[in-house]
Amino acid sequence: MATATAGVSTSARGVVSSKAELPKPQLSKGMLRLPWASGRRASSRRLVLVASSPSTPPNISEKVVESIKKAEETCAEDAASGECAAAWDEVEELSAAASHARDKLKASDPLEEYCKDNPETDECRTYED
Amino acid sequence: MSVCSLYPALRVTMPWSCSESHLGSCRKQLMFCVSRTTARRRASTGVSCSADTRTVVIGLAADSGCGKSTFMRRLTSALGGVAEPPRGCDAYSNTLVGDATTVICLDDYHALDREGRKEKGVTALDPKANNFDLMYEQVRALKSGVAVEKPVYNHVTGRLDPPELIRPPNILFIEGLHPLFDPRIRSLLDLSIYLDISNEVKFAWKIQRDMAERGESLESIKASIKARKSDFDMYIDPQKQYADVIIEVLPTRLIPDKSATEVLRVRLVMREGVKHFTPVYLFDEGSTISWTPCGGKLSCSYPGIRFFYGPDTYFSDEASVLEMDGRFDRLDELIYVESHLSNLSTKYYGEVTQQMLKHADFPGSNDGTGLFQTIVGLKVRQLYEQIIAGDGSHGLKREQLRRRCLRLSPV
Repeated sequence: MATATAGVSTSARGVVSSKAELPKPQLSKGMLRLPWASGRRASSRRLVLVASSPSTPPNISEKVVESIKKAEETCAEDAASGECAAAWDEVEELSAAASHARDKLKASDPLEEYCKDNPETDECRTYED
Repeated sequence: MSVCSLYPALRVTMPWSCSESHLGSCRKQLMFCVSRTTARRRASTGVSCSADTRTVVIGLAADSGCGKSTFMRRLTSALGGVAEPPRGCDAYSNTLVGDATTVICLDDYHALDREGRKEKGVTALDPKANNFDLMYEQVRALKSGVAVEKPVYNHVTGRLDPPELIRPPNILFIEGLHPLFDPRIRSLLDLSIYLDISNEVKFAWKIQRDMAERGESLESIKASIKARKSDFDMYIDPQKQYADVIIEVLPTRLIPDKSATEVLRVRLVMREGVKHFTPVYLFDEGSTISWTPCGGKLSCSYPGIRFFYGPDTYFSDEASVLEMDGRFDRLDELIYVESHLSNLSTKYYGEVTQQMLKHADFPGSNDGTGLFQTIVGLKVRQLYEQIIAGDGSHGLKREQLRRRCLRLSPV
């Protein structure tokens, strides 16, 4: 039940706080690894941490901005032409690509990636009871 | 090196399983074509190396930004695959290859890349921008058990990349803008699904998706939708009349404000007479039911949940429609609703709820979109199992032939 509500509240968020407001990722994520930290609370915080950064890879982001400018220029000349439609279609295609890239980034967990390369560091140590 | 030779005369329809050829170009070998002759591996030839498991082909049609990726993730998860980051029609990979399923994004069959489309002034929605002949040939080849070299369209650069090898899977999903456009491809599909999102909802979803982007404003989103609308209405929308299952997403009727799109009304339209597909129903098949689960036994928060079920006509065909208006807030609402629906094709009680919870972070997990997508996923699984069971009903004879085949199979 809590998982469902946590999922609902996270997915209901629109544009959320920028990365700057979040605590230093290293330390706070390190706390998650300790066995006495409340699993549920930590994981919901972790969800917020990852889901709240709307970061698109810069090359795609720039492409989107460029294509919007081009589309606006093309349509200023002739709003009903095929070129105008094709230009806005390109904007749509790039926005979709950007959104997929964001989802992919969201799904990749920075802590897991870091621990793959550095399993011996404090943040990555796991304890078996 | 052993390959299947490409003689139409050797078309044998008896199902038996054989060892895989080394090249993987033909999934199964015919008992009689164990010759060492190398054959040109032309993807376009329809060789029937009939196997005991044939490829089931499912088509999914929807406009861009309408939840195809989420739907695919739920579908592959319901079929027992791993729910990976979005694949198929995304920026990094157009093809998802799992244990049993392959998802092909039909954007790979663009005849014109982005530059070409700009020059000619056509959108990707226009059939002129797509190579339907190649699409048909390759889907037919995969369905009959032949691997193909599929072109790859790169969504980031907008160009066509070198082709990649696709081996025929157990289940093949083709998702994109035009799976139902060409009648030849329609004839290959075992099931077709269309996601029909209303304009208000589409607009709201695009705002949610794109507003975080630098440079995207409300006006640019509006302009983009408007510019594509005429092509969409002309080429994409008419495909819904051919679909077996249609999921319509509309704004809710529970809230008096007409433009409310936070809560969704979702209709699952299931055409009658679709092979291996039994429509979901509420309480009594064939009756018209209006059901508000919230009340004495179940308390819901505003605006609650309402269900409708009944027979209807869709493009002058008989269909049954199950509709959910509202959203789930708690687990017990979900399980309560599931316990009252029938013909869900679940393998155990609570499977729908479990699948929904497994993907609670996907968009639509708290309303009809997630619920109906999950149900359709389970229906696809049932369809696949029934088709395979139907094909493999030769029993003992198949076993005998298989043993003979293995003895003959080359090193």
